[in-house]
Amino acid sequence: MKFSVNREQIVGPLQQIARIIDKRQACTILSNVLLQCRDSKLVITATDLEVKIVIQLNLNDIRVEGNITLDARKVLDICRLLPTGCDINFDLEGDKINLSSGSCIYLLNTLPADDFPEFTHTEAETCFNVKAEKLKDGLDKTAFCMAINSERNYLNGIEMTINDSMLKLVASDGNRLAVYKEDIGSTGLNANIIVPKKAVQELSCLLDGLEEDVEIRVSRNTLEALYKNVVFSSKLVADKFPNFDRIVNQLFLNPIIVDRGLLKDSIKRVEVLSNEKYKGVSFDIKSASLKISTDNPEADEAEEDLVVDYHGDPISIAFNAKYMLDAVNNIDGKDVKMTVAENASVCFIEGQSDSLFWYLVMPMRI
Amino acid sequence: MAGIKKIIHIDMDAFFAAIEQRDFPEYRDKPLIVGGNPCSRGVVATCNYEARQYGIHSAMSCAKALQLCPHALFVKPRFEAYRSVSNTIRTIFAEFTPIFEPLSLDEAYLDVTDSADYQGSATRIALAIKTRIQEETGLTASAGISYNKFLAKIASDINKPDGLFVITPDQGLAFVEQLPIGKFHGIGKATEKKMHQLGVYSGNDLRKLSLTHLQQHFGKAGVYYYHIARAIDDRPVKWDRITKSVGVEITLPEDIDDGDEILTQLTALLEKAQTKLTDKNLQASTLTLKVKYFDFKQITRSRTFQEAISEKMDSTALFKDLLKSTDVGTKKVRLLGVTLSSLNDLEPESVAKQIDLFSPDN
Repeated sequence: MKFSVNREQIVGPLQQIARIIDKRQACTILSNVLLQCRDSKLVITATDLEVKIVIQLNLNDIRVEGNITLDARKVLDICRLLPTGCDINFDLEGDKINLSSGSCIYLLNTLPADDFPEFTHTEAETCFNVKAEKLKDGLDKTAFCMAINSERNYLNGIEMTINDSMLKLVASDGNRLAVYKEDIGSTGLNANIIVPKKAVQELSCLLDGLEEDVEIRVSRNTLEALYKNVVFSSKLVADKFPNFDRIVNQLFLNPIIVDRGLLKDSIKRVEVLSNEKYKGVSFDIKSASLKISTDNPEADEAEEDLVVDYHGDPISIAFNAKYMLDAVNNIDGKDVKMTVAENASVCFIEGQSDSLFWYLVMPMRI
Repeated sequence: MAGIKKIIHIDMDAFFAAIEQRDFPEYRDKPLIVGGNPCSRGVVATCNYEARQYGIHSAMSCAKALQLCPHALFVKPRFEAYRSVSNTIRTIFAEFTPIFEPLSLDEAYLDVTDSADYQGSATRIALAIKTRIQEETGLTASAGISYNKFLAKIASDINKPDGLFVITPDQGLAFVEQLPIGKFHGIGKATEKKMHQLGVYSGNDLRKLSLTHLQQHFGKAGVYYYHIARAIDDRPVKWDRITKSVGVEITLPEDIDDGDEILTQLTALLEKAQTKLTDKNLQASTLTLKVKYFDFKQITRSRTFQEAISEKMDSTALFKDLLKSTDVGTKKVRLLGVTLSSLNDLEPESVAKQIDLFSPDN
C-alpha cells in the first residue's frame, strides 16, 4: 500500500475516528484505524464494536492499493502536528508503515487488516431521508434528558419512532422526559428503536446542521446514518421504551402562561437557597400568581412572586430546579406554557406557539 | 511537654493462630498455620511463632508453607471467633480513651495524650491495656509507645511477642537513623529495592536525600519519607473512621472461563458487599469489578449509576456492561472482586424524593 494525502483532507476524518475509539479496549486492534486503499479511494474505518464510522476520501495519488490497520491516536497526533497544507506519504514496508512528510519520517507498527473485527449488522428494513439540520436539532433538544448511566438500559439513549410522515424522538432519565415530533414527508414506514447514548452524541457531532439530507437505515439491531462521505452505524439498545400514555392521558388544569426570561431568572435566584442535594423548589399557583419558594436544612428561605396568566384552582407542586431550568432553557419564544395535572403528578412545559418540542417534569415530594 | 503527643500502637501476637491455640489445646507447641487448604491455592492468614521459625509468613501461599514445614498443622480460619475477640479488645481500648483507630481486627492506634489515668503515663496505660487483654481474652499483645504513629508502630514490633517498647522524643531521631530502610512502615519490598538503588539502606541515608529529590522519585509518598526520616509524622489517630467503600473478593477454587459461572460468583459477591453496606446504613452508586486472570494480570472496571445500587436491581445487567471490556469468558480467571463506592446514607422515607416517571407506584 502506498499513497499520498493532503494534511487538510485527512486530519478532520481522523479526529472523527479518534472520538469513536474507546480508550480502554480489551483488544489492541480496536485502538487501530483500518485504512483501505483502492479505486482512487481511501476508506478509513474505526469501531468500538458498539458504533462504527466509515469515511471515504477521494485520492488521486494512490500508487499501490492495499489494506492495513494502525494506531489511530498516533496517526492523528502525527498528522495534526505536521505543517498546514503539507502532503503526507503513507508507504507500507513489510509490517511497518513509513509515514513521511518533508523531512519528517515515522515508522509505525501495524496489525493486519484481516484481523480488524467485523461489525455485524442485519439487512436494513426501513430507510428514510431527513434534513440533517432537523435531525440535529431534534437530537440536541432531547438528548439532555437521557439518563447519564441508568441501570434501566432503555433510558440510556433516545427512542426514535417513524410513523409514515412523523418522526418522533423521546428521551428520559426517569425524572423528566423530552419529546420532539416533526413531519418529514410521507415515508410509508413504521419503525421504533432505541439509539444508545454514545451514538446520539456522535450523530449530533457528525451532522453539521446543513440543509443536506441524511439517510437513515434501520435494521433489526442496527442504525446506519449516511451523510456526505460518512457512514455511521450503531448497535441498538435491545430494550423497549416504556409506554407513558398513562401520564399524558389524565386530567389537567388550565395552562399557565409565563414570561420565559422572568421564570428562568426567578428559578435561578430561588434555587440558591435550595437543598444542595435535591434542589427542590415549590411552585404555588393561584389565579394570576406563581410563588416560587424554597428552604434548606440550614433553615434559610427564599421566595419570589411572579405575575402569570392563569385562571383556575390553586395548586402546589415542587420540582428539582435543575430539571425546570433545563426545560425552560430549551424552549424557543418569549413565553412558556406550563400545564399541571389536576392531581399534581406531572407538569408539561412547552413553547406557546406550535413548537416541535415539549417537556415533562416529574414533581418532587418535599 | 506541650504539643507532644502520646500514641500507643497495640498489635495482637499471631492473632488468629493464638485464638486457635487457646481454643484447641491440641494445637499448642506445634507449628500452626491459619489459612487455606495446603492442597488448594489459599494463602497463610496468620501463623504462630513456631511456624515462623521455618520461614513461613502471612500472605505466603499455603503450598509453599507446606513445603517449608511438612509437619505443620493447617486450620481453616474462623472469622466469627476472631471478630468476637476483636470486639472485646476494642471495648477495652474504649475504657482507656475514645480516640482509637482500629487498623484491622488485631491492631489499633490509641491517642492517650489527654488521658489522666496512671498520672498520664502512656507506658503504664499500655501495660494496663495489655493486662486487661490478657485477663479478658487469654491472649497476649505487644505495645509500642511513642510520640507519633510511625514510631509507635515500629516500637510495637521490637519485643514481640508480649512486648512493650518505648521510643521517647529525645530517642526518636537516633532510632530512625539506625533503622534499616525495609523496616520503615510504609516502605514495602518494591520501594525498598528502589531505595537501595538510590544508595539508601538506613534512616540515616534517607535523611541525606532532599525533599525535591524524594518527590521526584516517589511523588507524594516522597514527602512522607522525607518527614519520617526526621522522625516526624503528623498523622492524627483517626477515630470513628468514615467508610468510603466496601469490597469483597474471592480466589476461585480453580481458574474458570465459564461466563455463567463467573456471573453467579459476582452476583454472590455483590450481595455480600450490599449486606455489609446496609449494615452500616449506607448505599452506593459506583460498582467496581476486579478481575485477576490466571496469569496474575489484574484489571478493574467501574461504572457509576445515576441511581443508588439496590438489591432490586438485576445484577446480571449491572455486570454485563462492565464485563464487556474484559476478557472474561475467553481468558481463565483466578480471582474476582466487587467493590461498592460513592457512598451515601440510606435515605429515610421522610426526606425529599423525586417521583419517577416509570415507577409503577407513582
